[in-house]
Amino acid sequence: MDATCKQWVQDLEKRLESFRVSVVARGSRRIYVDVAPQYSREANRILFEEFEGRLATATGMDTPLRIEVLYHYCLDTDGIVVTLRTWTDKDQCELDSVATLFEGANFIEREIHDLLGVRFRHHPDPRRLILADNWPEGVYPLRRDFATRRDRTETPEFLRELTREVTTP
Amino acid sequence: MKRTIVPIGPFHPIQEEPEFFQLTVEGETVVDADVRLSYNHRGIERLCQDLTYDQIPFLLARICGICSASHPMAFCQAGEDLIGVEVPPRGQFLRTIICELERIHSHLLWVGLAGHFIGYNTVFMWAWKYREPILELFEQLLGNRNHYENFCIGGCRRDIPQDKLPLISKALDDVEGPVEMLTKAVLDDPVLKVRLGGIGILTVEQARRYCTTGPTARGSGVNIDVRHDEPYAAYDQIDWQVHVQPAGDVLAKAVVRLLETMESIQIARACIERIEPGAFRAEVREVPEGEGIGHAEAPRGETFHYVCSDGTNYPIRYKVRAPTYVNLPSFRASVIGQELADAMLTVAAMDPCYSCTERMAVVRPRRGEQREIIDQKTLLKMSWDKTERIRRNV
Repeated sequence: MDATCKQWVQDLEKRLESFRVSVVARGSRRIYVDVAPQYSREANRILFEEFEGRLATATGMDTPLRIEVLYHYCLDTDGIVVTLRTWTDKDQCELDSVATLFEGANFIEREIHDLLGVRFRHHPDPRRLILADNWPEGVYPLRRDFATRRDRTETPEFLRELTREVTTP
Repeated sequence: MKRTIVPIGPFHPIQEEPEFFQLTVEGETVVDADVRLSYNHRGIERLCQDLTYDQIPFLLARICGICSASHPMAFCQAGEDLIGVEVPPRGQFLRTIICELERIHSHLLWVGLAGHFIGYNTVFMWAWKYREPILELFEQLLGNRNHYENFCIGGCRRDIPQDKLPLISKALDDVEGPVEMLTKAVLDDPVLKVRLGGIGILTVEQARRYCTTGPTARGSGVNIDVRHDEPYAAYDQIDWQVHVQPAGDVLAKAVVRLLETMESIQIARACIERIEPGAFRAEVREVPEGEGIGHAEAPRGETFHYVCSDGTNYPIRYKVRAPTYVNLPSFRASVIGQELADAMLTVAAMDPCYSCTERMAVVRPRRGEQREIIDQKTLLKMSWDKTERIRRNV
């Protein structure tokens, strides 16, 4: 770990102390911060406004126990990427929206909702982004339980419905 | 005043790619804008989970037909971050040369299109003519005009032999003169200054709030460039500079792209001087558990890739973010208050790249409804007419 990265880790630990986060540096330019869901919006605000991070994107990930959302911030002055990892359980599946803070998070939160079913509370524009208008509600293609091409033996019923709709004039 | 809704797309008005813009206009002025994308989501992130680390770059090269080196570049860096492997010097220089040649042909493509939209069809013909030798060079060196497929985790898949390097130097020499001429022509042309200056403005604050990248951000005075901020490949071993223009209008973005093209020629040339024979690929045997992040500066801005591995040959999650994904929403900020004739140019200034194919959409008025539908031809005509008016008055 080089000196600049070490300095950022210390600054982040100090500023986010009250959120009981864990800050880990991997390699010389990557920092990973785990932050509990109730503090995620505030932590994002601090990263964007106080640390002047640029939100590169967010990654939604379905893991066996929970759904994780990783917000990747680039600190362009030093070329460091800080990843804020937060999570939600699969039943509740709800997080505070970061798009209320700045426009850059708008598209990606809509995408994560489409693909993984995470609802973002108070999102300014919660319309669909990725999925087609006639895609059924509650089917999330990036979830682990969604039948994949590899292990699908037959076409799911709703997909057959969709195809029918397209081919009938 | 009466408000009219103008639908543009989903067939994109400018580049033959699907995208839907809904502009609300009062008279000739745009007062609101809405953007819809993803008319054909290809599910590449999901497909990557079924591919091995050796296969993924081939799929990623096909994300985009123009910047097909940038996505594999970001992937390789994510992989190298995950695995912790060092690329040998020759591999780094080869990567830099390919990325910069790609930037040259991509920016020339944009210059041509931009010329077409304002009625400068000669610029369109010229720019595309000068771009052609670069594509032919790629075919000669790597076997394909566009999908070069030369990157893999640890370095490059194939070497460019030392005796082929003069071919690159010659192509660079050939393209330098015309690019210089184009740059001067744009900077000195009074009509272009009036036509492109002051339209589609994106302020520094907006550029930051929308998290824009690449020439879109640099044309708004935001000094960011991954090549400079987190140097990858050989960018830290060469002297070069980041071009930033503060104005934020279409002219500023055009100037940034032209100056960058000149800079790319210099970078590629410096690489050819510095490159030495040697290994071009490091061997990779095991992929450990963990996460990796890689980003690279594509011609249109930063491509950002994230990979999560469980130690097997397949990633458990792969995330791709293309530059247009963050640049496109900023269209809303830059188009409101513009004339309708400038709307196309404002989109074009971002050099959008949706890279996907299309479902069909039909625009028709509801029964009994009187609605004016403005098509691509009319929009293009409006833009050309405006240039013509300015030309007459200058």
